[in-house]
Amino acid sequence: MSNVPTLLEMRSITKEFPGVKALSDVNLVVRAGEIHAICGENGAGKSTLMKVLSGVYPYGSYDGQIVYQGSESKFSDIRASENAGIVIIHQELALIPGMSIAENIFLGNEPRKRGAIDWKAANRMALDLMARVGLQEDPDTLIKDIGVGKQQLVEIAKAFAKDVKLLILDEPTAALNEADSRHLLDLLRGFRSRGITSIMISHKLNEIEAIADQITILRDGRTVETLDVKADGVDEDRIVRGMVGRELSSRFPDHTPKIGDVFFEVRDWNVRHPISADRQVCKNESFVVRRGEIVGFAGLMGAGRTELAMSVFGRSYGVYESGTIIKDGKEIVLKSVADAIDNGLAYVSEDRKAIGLNLLDDIKSSTVAAKLSKISHHGVLSEVEEYQAAEAYRKELRTKAPSVDVGVSKLSGGNQQKVVLAKWMFTDPDLLILDEPTRGIDVGAKYEIYGIIQRLADEGKGVVVISSELPELIGLCDRIYTVFEGAITGEIARADATPENLMKQMTSTKKLATR
Amino acid sequence: MSRIKDLQKNLFGGTTSNARQFGMIFTLVAIVLIFQIWTDGLTLRSDNLIALFQQNSYILILAIGMLMVIVAGHIDLSVGSIAAFTGILVAKSMTEWDLPWPAAIVFGLAIGAVIGAWQGFWVAYVGVPAFIVTLAGMLLFRGGNQFIGNAQSIPVPEGFREIGSGFLPEFGPNTGYNNATLLLGLAAAAAVVWREIRTRNTRRAMDADPAPMWVSILRMAIMVGVIAFASLRFASGRVGTSFPISGIILLLLVIAYSFYTRNTAGGRHIYAVGGNSRAAELSGVKLKRVNFFVMMNMSVLAALAGMIFVARSAASGPQDGNGWELDAIAAVFIGGAAVAGGIGTISGSIVGGLVMAVLNNGLQLQGVGTDKVQIIKGLVLLLAVAIDVYNKSQGRFSIIGSLMRPFRREDSAPPASPPDAERKPAKAAVSG
Amino acid sequence: MRKFFGTSVVAISAAAMLALAGCGSGRDGDSGSSGEAAKGFPANSLIGVALPAKTSENWVLAGDLFTNGLKEAGFEGNVQYAGASTTVADQQAQITSMVTKGAKVIVIGATDAAQLSTQVAAAHAAGVKVIAYDRLITNTPDLDYYVAFDNFKVGQLQGQALLEGMKAKKPNGPYNIELFSGSPDDNNAGVFFNGAMDVLKPEIDKGNVVVASGQKEVKQTAIQGWKAEGAQARMDQLLTSTYGNKELDGVLSPNDTLARAILTSVKGAGKPTPIVTGQDSEVESVKSIVKGEQYMTINKDTRNLVKETINMVKALQAGDKPQVNDTTSYNNGSKVVDTYLLPPVAVTKANAAEAYANDPKLAPLTK
Repeated sequence: MSNVPTLLEMRSITKEFPGVKALSDVNLVVRAGEIHAICGENGAGKSTLMKVLSGVYPYGSYDGQIVYQGSESKFSDIRASENAGIVIIHQELALIPGMSIAENIFLGNEPRKRGAIDWKAANRMALDLMARVGLQEDPDTLIKDIGVGKQQLVEIAKAFAKDVKLLILDEPTAALNEADSRHLLDLLRGFRSRGITSIMISHKLNEIEAIADQITILRDGRTVETLDVKADGVDEDRIVRGMVGRELSSRFPDHTPKIGDVFFEVRDWNVRHPISADRQVCKNESFVVRRGEIVGFAGLMGAGRTELAMSVFGRSYGVYESGTIIKDGKEIVLKSVADAIDNGLAYVSEDRKAIGLNLLDDIKSSTVAAKLSKISHHGVLSEVEEYQAAEAYRKELRTKAPSVDVGVSKLSGGNQQKVVLAKWMFTDPDLLILDEPTRGIDVGAKYEIYGIIQRLADEGKGVVVISSELPELIGLCDRIYTVFEGAITGEIARADATPENLMKQMTSTKKLATR
Repeated sequence: MSRIKDLQKNLFGGTTSNARQFGMIFTLVAIVLIFQIWTDGLTLRSDNLIALFQQNSYILILAIGMLMVIVAGHIDLSVGSIAAFTGILVAKSMTEWDLPWPAAIVFGLAIGAVIGAWQGFWVAYVGVPAFIVTLAGMLLFRGGNQFIGNAQSIPVPEGFREIGSGFLPEFGPNTGYNNATLLLGLAAAAAVVWREIRTRNTRRAMDADPAPMWVSILRMAIMVGVIAFASLRFASGRVGTSFPISGIILLLLVIAYSFYTRNTAGGRHIYAVGGNSRAAELSGVKLKRVNFFVMMNMSVLAALAGMIFVARSAASGPQDGNGWELDAIAAVFIGGAAVAGGIGTISGSIVGGLVMAVLNNGLQLQGVGTDKVQIIKGLVLLLAVAIDVYNKSQGRFSIIGSLMRPFRREDSAPPASPPDAERKPAKAAVSG
Repeated sequence: MRKFFGTSVVAISAAAMLALAGCGSGRDGDSGSSGEAAKGFPANSLIGVALPAKTSENWVLAGDLFTNGLKEAGFEGNVQYAGASTTVADQQAQITSMVTKGAKVIVIGATDAAQLSTQVAAAHAAGVKVIAYDRLITNTPDLDYYVAFDNFKVGQLQGQALLEGMKAKKPNGPYNIELFSGSPDDNNAGVFFNGAMDVLKPEIDKGNVVVASGQKEVKQTAIQGWKAEGAQARMDQLLTSTYGNKELDGVLSPNDTLARAILTSVKGAGKPTPIVTGQDSEVESVKSIVKGEQYMTINKDTRNLVKETINMVKALQAGDKPQVNDTTSYNNGSKVVDTYLLPPVAVTKANAAEAYANDPKLAPLTK
């Protein structure tokens, strides 16, 4: 392999922000035609490195050298790097929902004929590009009408429209379900066989292990090592060791559950979609939670897990139709989020940035936001108590921040999630519903969060965990419900749970495609 | 840490020990001083200071309400029309229906509340964007004013005029000053000292080091000095004049609303809704109630502002309230509020409003025409916000940003931690 | 804690002392108060002139004349216009600033005649003489003088010209006319209208003149803010609603700006040009009269009005009582204001050359 020509070499890149060294002497060598993965915990400097490469941080704002296709490149902006064939696809897709696939593919790059856009040619070229990424849709379809997986493909098609030589994907599968992820990875393999070089940033180590040729690991803004997957016999544990700088003996802390009696029960829960009233998103769903128990909800994307959780949490989603909630033997009616909080429910949403936190707030005010009454006396907030509460949680959850006056927008994903957890722990809930509690969080922080969840259960609270990662559910939960198309299709005890039987029930009556 | 750094960190602002706090007030002080020199001392002369407050109190009152509206993520274009509509009704109620003036004030506030409920209903419960609702309101109530007043001016009786053009009474021994204003100044000075002591205690309770003693004392000395200077100025105007009553109304509102926005759950909820309404809703905040409240509150304050203007003008006229919404909105944005909501403070908006007011007044004293004054004010607004945006996008130290930031809800300062510790979290933000 | 208090007390007293020292001595008492005005004031004193927004040529001209006239007379003039949208508040602030700057006389062309009494009172209390220019300031006992053209006469001249013009075109009635009046917040608007109706009313009662739309009340005919677009819109509506198959013979318009707007509307509708009155002798209207479109205007020579106002200021400076010629008719709601009235002149195509012979801008237009 060593005689394969080098496409890109980044030499001792150092990038400083006022007071912070985001990258320090980072080296990256990418060989032509390979898939090169970049791994590292959140905050390790992966995105900054890619921004240096793509010209977001222009030449001159960093130290070091970028050698691309044999000569030094000095990109002044994104356009310059794109002209050189380097295209970056961000985690947050840069598509315009109200425009068609073809319009998006050629946005800023429209084929013209005498000054006007040549839509006929555009659609023809779009079809060609879409075929290359395996996307079968009418090019006139609006982006908002296709799923996230297909949107991702449109982004890649867009990159091809720019004659890409080096494709950079930032967390490409974070928002995709298994099937879409698999398709995307296959696609990348296809590109490799056609000689296109890819750089991929991902937290999903199993994917990296499966697809990457080389892995460069960053930690705290420095290059730790570059591994050759085949030659070095790399597996997930090896990558984790590089990322966190130590061995993680187990991905889950040891835990002996102390399960009590059923205290929370939902019966015959029926909810309709908020806009299209004929769509039922919860169909006669019933479940129970015991004190001290961690209950998992498994299901594919769109199965209706989040919808179930949110509709139970004070009807914050959909149109309630029928069903009862029984807590501690008494029926309770939760018409608003405030009712739910008052009755000891807490819901940690799957999208902490969009709906979990006010990113303008600091740690302090975020921590107390869901139960201001607890620090109020005659309607006046006590700054001292606010500070003390936040500080106590910061220490308890080991949130990495110099003080609780730091804005939550400045925290990494894992620490933000700890703040969200603190916010809901502060409400003294009996039942915590955690929706994708470890999404986008790095390995070390995940371990800590599992520990927090287990501690909460040990305090006698009921915990509901919704997750798309089956190993997580199996490792963490005492009991798992499976959900398919708005209905609960099964209930499996921890001892019996395997990815295979969960997947089987998650896809209900359909036969699981066996490998 | 050197004393200079101590000073920078801790000097300005009640609870906030933050060098940046210095900036915004510095801008205001600089403008005042420039005009003080340029106008040969007219700017800080007592009659001019009194006039400055009388002329601008109603705009600043609007800015208080507007700040809350903008923080909640809305806008209110109808305040001028509501002020005019209330003004004409109140004037009529006194001249034609012989309502005694105190009752007329209550009547005016009630009109504001009803109009506010109307607009709040559309914004909060129907979900029509506030821009549209208040654009409609602007037309609706402007038309209402002319319909009711036949586009004529209606004079108001003497007693009512007090709220706009009245002064504190003269009493007590002849000290050569207005005694009421002096007492007011004393009370303010006492409040400053009390607050400083309380802040120190609070910070101690938070396990944070309070600012060094000498900084506390210096800060108090400066504040008390300013208060003493101001109260002597206000007290030394022509006999019969003092700190104006409209200024006192403004002062009370600023204190009350600052407290409300900062120290109560209701105030927090406004910021929560503006910062991320979905997150706020999922934290148990009653979104509709908050939106209804801010819109309604704005209209009540607009009604009050309208009455104060009418009282000062001694008559309600068809031109009342023209363009007020823009002055109030400008004050709020110069004062550091974010267009998208969630950020801004009452005190910042007041300082922003005062910057505009002093600019206006100083230029007028220099005999600069309204045409040029408007051009200058427009540029100041644009520049103030543009420099801020530009510097933020460049990730550089932002002058205006640093001027405004202290007014952005960081009201309890970071505990005195070494500067490099503060920088650590920034790292997470720029990478990963 | 004790140390804290000790140091604080010292520091705070020091600060307070400093502030005290900076402030100088107590209040200026009533040094400049009303007192006896008869003593006059220095010849180079500041004279403030506060005018409405620059919405009509006339105010711009008046401003220029004041600037130059006051300078020639040796005064320091400060002429200010209100802003276009925030008129009243601007003018209030401007008057207050003039008082602050120590103006001895303030001449005010009011934007809203009823909303300046607080500022006029403040001026009076500071010993400043206030002259209402062209528009009477109402509801204040503190106004000193009023100088204006005889506006009732203006209205009468407009009414007469309207009748004469229509008769000259069509010897026999009945004539169809429409009435327009000025901004309802301008005290003069009603005066013009009443003057005109003083002449027209008898003819209307006789049936010789017909207001075809039936809109005869001031309220119905008023144009808010003297805005041209307002007049044009109203005329458009009248033409559609009333003159589908009727002849429009004449329009009473209170000033030139509105007259031209009315003519634009009529032209736009493709109707023959009616007799339209006007006022102010604006350049465009004089051209229009020479062309034979607008029938008449009033020459209220702004030069004379400004000259007369400056004469008043000069008299006050010398400590004399300014000349007035009407001490009975102008009651502003609080007092009868001493007034100097200037006579207006009606101008039609026939006497235009003669009327504007002395006007450097208008004279060439009439040749």
